[in-house]
Amino acid sequence: MASIVIWAETRNGSIRKSTLECIGAARTLEPFQGCERVGVLIGDAACADELSRYGLTSIRVVTGEQLRRFSSEGYAGVLAEITREVKGDIVLLGATALGRDIAGRLAARLDGSLGTDIIAIHPDGDGLLIDRPVYSGKLTARVKLVRKPAVLTLRPNTFPAAEAASGQTPVTQADAVTMTIRATVTQALEAARGVLDVTEASIVVSGGRGVGGAEGFKILESLADTLGAAVGASRAAVDSGWITYSHQVGQTGKVVSPVLYIACGISGAIQHFAGMGSAKFIIAINKDPDAPIMKKADFAIVGDLFKVVPVLAEELRKLRTS
Amino acid sequence: MDIAVVIKQTPDTEARIVPDSGNTKQIVSDGINFILNPYDEFALEEALTITESSGGEVICFAIGPESSEPAMRTALAMGAARGILITDPGAVDADIVTQGKILAAAIRTVNPGLVLCGREWIDVQEDALAAILGEFLDMPHVMNAARITLNGSQVTVNREVEGATFEITSPLPAVVSCQKGLNEPRYPTLIAIRKSKSKELKMMSSADLGLTSIVPASQIVALEAPPPRAQGKLVTGETDQLVAQSLRWLSDEAKLI
Ligand SMILES: Cc1cc2nc3c(=O)[nH]c(=O)nc-3n(C[C@H](O)[C@H](O)[C@H](O)COP(=O)(O)OP(=O)(O)OC[C@H]3O[C@@H](n4cnc5c(N)ncnc54)[C@H](O)[C@@H]3O)c2cc1C
Ligand SMILES: Nc1ncnc2c1ncn2[C@@H]1O[C@H](COP(=O)(O)O)[C@@H](O)[C@H]1O
Repeated sequence: MASIVIWAETRNGSIRKSTLECIGAARTLEPFQGCERVGVLIGDAACADELSRYGLTSIRVVTGEQLRRFSSEGYAGVLAEITREVKGDIVLLGATALGRDIAGRLAARLDGSLGTDIIAIHPDGDGLLIDRPVYSGKLTARVKLVRKPAVLTLRPNTFPAAEAASGQTPVTQADAVTMTIRATVTQALEAARGVLDVTEASIVVSGGRGVGGAEGFKILESLADTLGAAVGASRAAVDSGWITYSHQVGQTGKVVSPVLYIACGISGAIQHFAGMGSAKFIIAINKDPDAPIMKKADFAIVGDLFKVVPVLAEELRKLRTS
Repeated sequence: MDIAVVIKQTPDTEARIVPDSGNTKQIVSDGINFILNPYDEFALEEALTITESSGGEVICFAIGPESSEPAMRTALAMGAARGILITDPGAVDADIVTQGKILAAAIRTVNPGLVLCGREWIDVQEDALAAILGEFLDMPHVMNAARITLNGSQVTVNREVEGATFEITSPLPAVVSCQKGLNEPRYPTLIAIRKSKSKELKMMSSADLGLTSIVPASQIVALEAPPPRAQGKLVTGETDQLVAQSLRWLSDEAKLI
């Protein structure tokens, strides 16, 4: 029976949603039916119990002094070992910053194939076809993965997250053998607590030039807080210095696939669309009914964001508390 | 210390991209303005700044058809000493893992102290090259550098990881991919553009590098425009009406509240 190896990424002491989406894909997608699902947790055993509730076939926990902090060489090394041992055909990782950091090295080490930022997976005989956006999302490429194993990173918020299953998955723990690890994380500065990154949020409230300044972003933050959303921005807003680059959505920023994207004072240039065009729903708030975003939004509000956003936030807050 | 910079010629981001009806694995290239991949400019700028202060040459490497020469010339005009362009169709059409293997073979011939590339190629959008090159060159790699500091035989890189900032230190040689914000790429001067025409640009094939049979790891079988987003609902009116309609849409249509 074929095996799928899944890297369990953790953040702030819990399993990331992108990992649950990998497990969800492994459990539900047609080409993966009947496959073993081997979860691999590296560096810290603390999340093993949480991971064991999601219907994996087995879980490997690999710890060791060298793996306490993230290392693409180290983590790729562990995943390569396990993939060979379980004769894995597929390795799944979230297309997160660290998932991407591991995937290329792992595919090269296993002499396999690589598919990144995948938005769909189809059966193809005993192989796989994957869909991924190319040319800033202007086209979708269908790619046949010829060489095995196939290392795949899945675009966050695209595949259904695994639901908790009944019963617990058996966990085996091992110490890693000593490896050559050259690049090491010497310092990690966590973002301010509670600041949700745009790539992982299921709702993103985003602002552009129309927001007018750093003060304007406070209004968006208030709406975002009410919705449990992350704050995004267009390049125009970032280049004006109103918000930091880590919030930029678009071709030169981050690609997001939230359930809901609320674009405030953003015209919807092709390079911005490249970063958010695959959102499930788009709401646009713009004074100009002819702005390009208004033709792509599911719900286009012609209005002044300084008037609409605060009232919308207030009404949503009322709904929440009532 | 010599620095190898991997670059690529890509369509301009404004370009209208349509699949070729005769060969759906390719795009129609007529009428497209091709440019040096924007992220590669950050890699080149960084390499030039480093070699200007501590010596060494910048050598650029690319895979692409012979028509990619303009991007190579741009890199030479910015200040790279020479370039190697791998043009055989096997390499040009290969997947990124295979291209990484070919580029690694080419880079090995110049024995660089540092290898730089852009965060991603904006056409195929695989931000994986640094990791692939690292493995094939047996070097450590760091992706998405927002700052690069060299000290002796080490490089320290700052990168953003979903809100957090990592400082990563690595011995040299290493592969580092470059992100927006790292520097402000220079514009070549007219004199530099003229001089670049006589700089060495070597066209090579994978076979010249000893890679005689290229077996791709993956292959594009089709390129298609994603289904267009349908025009949604456009609402106008006073703020209160707009908000009321929004709430109704959020609950009835999107079913999010
Ligand atoms: C190589 C390259 C890469 C790029 N990468 C990116 C990228 O990653 N991300 C990105 O976003 N852009 C990117 N761009 C830039 C992009 O082309 C646009 O310039 C940018 O997205 C415009 O930002 P904007 O929509 O905020 O501003 P504008 O286009 O100026 O739009 C502002 C909008 O706000 C509306 N507005 C103004 N006031 C109000 C108000 N009070 N209430 C409601 N609406 C209001 C206006 O009607 C207008 O539609 C890139 C460009 C290039 C060439
Ligand atoms: N204070 C403002 N009030 C209303 N609209 C604005 C304001 N500032 C900018 N805009 C609009 O935002 C868009 C970008 O403007 P600019 O910043 O001049 O490039 C244009 O469509 C302007 O009409």
